[in-house]
Amino acid sequence: MNSCPEKSKRNRKRFSWGNDNVQIALMLFPMMAGFFLFTYVPILYLVRCSFFSSNGFKEQYVALKNFARIFTRDYDYWRAVATTFILALGKLAVQIPLALLLAVILNRGLKGTAFFRVILFLPAIIAGSIAGLAFSLLFASYNGMINGMLESINLPAVGWFEHTGTALFVIGLASIWNNFGVTMIFFLSALQTVPGELYECAAMDGITPVKRFFNITLPMIGPTFTAVLLLGIIGALKMADLILASTNGQPSGGTEVVMTYVFKYFFGYDLRQTEIGYASAMAVVTAFILALVALIYNRLTRKLANAFD
Amino acid sequence: MATAVKVTGVKRKKQAGNFWLYVFLIIVSLIVLFPVEYIILGSFKTNMELRGYGNHLIPTVWVLDNYKEAWEKAHFEKYTWNSLYMSAAIVIGSIFTTTMTGYTFERGKFKGKKILWSFIVSSMFVSLGSLTLYPLLMIAKVFGLNTSLWGVIVIRVFGLNVTHLYITRSYIRTISTEIDDAAKIDGCSFFGIYRRVIFPLLKPLISTIAILEFRAAWNDYLLPLVFTLSDKNRQPLIVAVIKLKSTAGEGAAAWNLMLAGSSIALIPMIIVYLIFNRYFISGLTAGAVKG
Repeated sequence: MNSCPEKSKRNRKRFSWGNDNVQIALMLFPMMAGFFLFTYVPILYLVRCSFFSSNGFKEQYVALKNFARIFTRDYDYWRAVATTFILALGKLAVQIPLALLLAVILNRGLKGTAFFRVILFLPAIIAGSIAGLAFSLLFASYNGMINGMLESINLPAVGWFEHTGTALFVIGLASIWNNFGVTMIFFLSALQTVPGELYECAAMDGITPVKRFFNITLPMIGPTFTAVLLLGIIGALKMADLILASTNGQPSGGTEVVMTYVFKYFFGYDLRQTEIGYASAMAVVTAFILALVALIYNRLTRKLANAFD
Repeated sequence: MATAVKVTGVKRKKQAGNFWLYVFLIIVSLIVLFPVEYIILGSFKTNMELRGYGNHLIPTVWVLDNYKEAWEKAHFEKYTWNSLYMSAAIVIGSIFTTTMTGYTFERGKFKGKKILWSFIVSSMFVSLGSLTLYPLLMIAKVFGLNTSLWGVIVIRVFGLNVTHLYITRSYIRTISTEIDDAAKIDGCSFFGIYRRVIFPLLKPLISTIAILEFRAAWNDYLLPLVFTLSDKNRQPLIVAVIKLKSTAGEGAAAWNLMLAGSSIALIPMIIVYLIFNRYFISGLTAGAVKG
């Protein structure tokens, strides 16, 4: 009898709103629940669904049939994967050097640098989907401005979106336009950490600017460079908005990338039949491909370990 | 004397070099601005001019008809409102969830902190982009949130943006713990310190996060798309504009609406950017790459 009130008193003390541990739990719980629910649960969900055949209403356990289909019969999936890599490598081959060049120029402390930085970064604040739309209108066959300009200087109009090659070229261009600003800013902030004395020493030794760039600047920003390149590769492999808003995979699947391909199976978008199980299996395979790319890249550079502290 | 001549020679050479750099920067800037000018100026062209063979940027006749039509007939009034409330809710909500979580991880002492944090950090490497859209929709369905933008809002606010959380935690680390101790002696609880001491000190960080969240929310396409597949009236601007493209195809039918709609989506973003551009840039560099 005697111990009861004491116990309840202690309990009351433990569960008081003022208790630090109670507050920590309350402050953390909604966000941690949300975080796991929206980040890790979807992955588990995909893995589970990949063993089922489902159209969103009925489902049936099919073991590894979905995976077998990907690896043996789905030529289009692998075509989309190949297109993704071609597009990513092609656009980064332009985007990275361009961004680096602009960053080096902006880092020279010219007058008006701030102005140019604001202008050059502008496309990076624009939605990828709007970038895709803008470029698809600019390069449209009949009333697009690019063809209008070509004709006005007596060049033939080009059916940009009628051939896979030119369509990929336009998508790459739009993506470079949309993303080089972020890459440039990363390089610029890395360049600003290079101590000026190094350049002064180089100037005294009479080193040419090109040599200076390759012997001092590039090694000094090396860690940033490897991290930015990885971000660029992963970002390019995950491209989806821009393509859905411009070519939507046309002509005849030539510009379908892996993300848009899988997306269409999930949502029955673009007149495709909904196949949740199969789409999940493709998502799992795609996730492995992405992880593999990051892993191989990591092995190759071995410098990325501390990029995220 | 000889050295003086040499110095001016070098200077002149350098100035000539700078001249070409300026030329280069101006050319690149013009190319970079071209698509934006094209959209915004195009939105003032008459429908006839848009249907014709366009090769000049400036409208021959300036009209507001496209905006009028988009606003009144094509329901862009509704879509703009949808975009606005979705973005506002995400910005305000995620400011609180991000700073609160960052604070709890940085200053709180609790079991399993390291493990939880490692889950958060490693999620940066397993993000699957649009691959998880369908599972997210199904999870939202459990809570009855799968047919409106509130699903998007809840996912963005409580799902936490890991990069922003990371910036927040590093920022709070730079605030001296002596301030916490003083507040504790004055009788502040753990939450009280957050509310009265830390949160007010986070103003610069909050501006950065607000700007980045606004950009992400306003520009988001796929997540709001799948949450509004069933009800067109709930679409945000970007989704509505792109839908015009997929329904009209390459024909000139909806060009005026697409251009006006894109401009309505673009102009607020550009204005926010021009006013707060330093936050855009500092936020990016603070978050993504160290060293």
